[in-house]
Amino acid sequence: MATPEREVLVMPPGFGSREACSFIAQLDDQNARLIADTRHLDPAALEWQPAPGMNTIGMLLAHIAIVEVFWTQVGPLGLKTYETESVLGIGIDDDGMPIAAGTSPPATLRGKDLAFYDDLLARARAYSKEAVARLTDLDLEREIKRTRRDGRPHETTMRWILYHMVEHEAGHYGQINLLAHQYRLAAVRS
Amino acid sequence: MVTTAQTLLETPPGFRSETIARFLWQLDEQRRVLIKDTRGLSAKELEWQPAPGMNSIGMLLAHIAYAENHLVQVGLEGKPTSDTRAAIGISEEEEGLPLAEGAPPSPALAGRELAWFDALLERARAYTRGVATTLVEGDLAREVRRKRPDGSERVFNVGWVLYHMLEHEAGHHGQINLLRHLQQLGRGTGAR
Repeated sequence: MATPEREVLVMPPGFGSREACSFIAQLDDQNARLIADTRHLDPAALEWQPAPGMNTIGMLLAHIAIVEVFWTQVGPLGLKTYETESVLGIGIDDDGMPIAAGTSPPATLRGKDLAFYDDLLARARAYSKEAVARLTDLDLEREIKRTRRDGRPHETTMRWILYHMVEHEAGHYGQINLLAHQYRLAAVRS
Repeated sequence: MVTTAQTLLETPPGFRSETIARFLWQLDEQRRVLIKDTRGLSAKELEWQPAPGMNSIGMLLAHIAYAENHLVQVGLEGKPTSDTRAAIGISEEEEGLPLAEGAPPSPALAGRELAWFDALLERARAYTRGVATTLVEGDLAREVRRKRPDGSERVFNVGWVLYHMLEHEAGHHGQINLLRHLQQLGRGTGAR
């Protein structure tokens, strides 16, 4: 008898808040799908651009990891300055995003293979998981104020940050699937 | 004067479960940004494909509405099958996903204006809200077992369905933004 496909949120142990834990379970589900969908991609596919000035799959994978570390520092860790080098081994701008019109992917990602991006994603998740595990339900109500790079003030809450981490990864994961589809068609035509 | 950007996750009133209310807020926030990102799209832009066999923005908008309503009917209401045409006015065949290799966009969507897709999305969300307000916290763990057309079985719970509705819309929203960028550059992968 075939085993049914089971889709439930798997709550990891050791969290101070069930709601915060649920966000990590959602992020883990996203990563599992993202990892499964990217297995076939070689470095050429990872750095393929549909047109100059457009993101590559590699840039999006690096961006997902960088942004996860960034929001973990803003929210759960409550830091006032942000950097990703010590966590990921690449800097906060090394994803090359936002890419300027008409330009190529960043040199920092040239020739990188899937194992490199898998490692970035794993490091980012280990970092966010450790920080989010320490949150309590009360922490989710906490308001957070920061100044954006453009100088504009931004007010948010811990709960919004956790929601945003999920929807951010989901949005770029959708784009990765679309780019992979385009790459397949382009490879067939070339 | 400098304006402060506020992004707060609020718990809307009228729900029996705070968790479910917050999922609805997340879905509504996702929808707010999707609506904002699609303003100004013409019927021609909505049916543009980067290459034959690839989804158009219109197809993705219709798919978001269709999938949301299908998931609510089978996942939250526990119906054995959904009838999305009766509920919101579109079927799976009409939204056209998955599109066959080399195929044009779904003919059922030809010439549709943005207002038509807006109304479709709104009907789907109104239906979702109507069902979600009746659910209680204990429903989140309720498991649903479904037989797929190919005979395989799928098991999921209500909590996963709510999360999936969010990540599903977010994923296709990301694709819509990417398609807009491709349109602006006038770039497809093949015929256009």
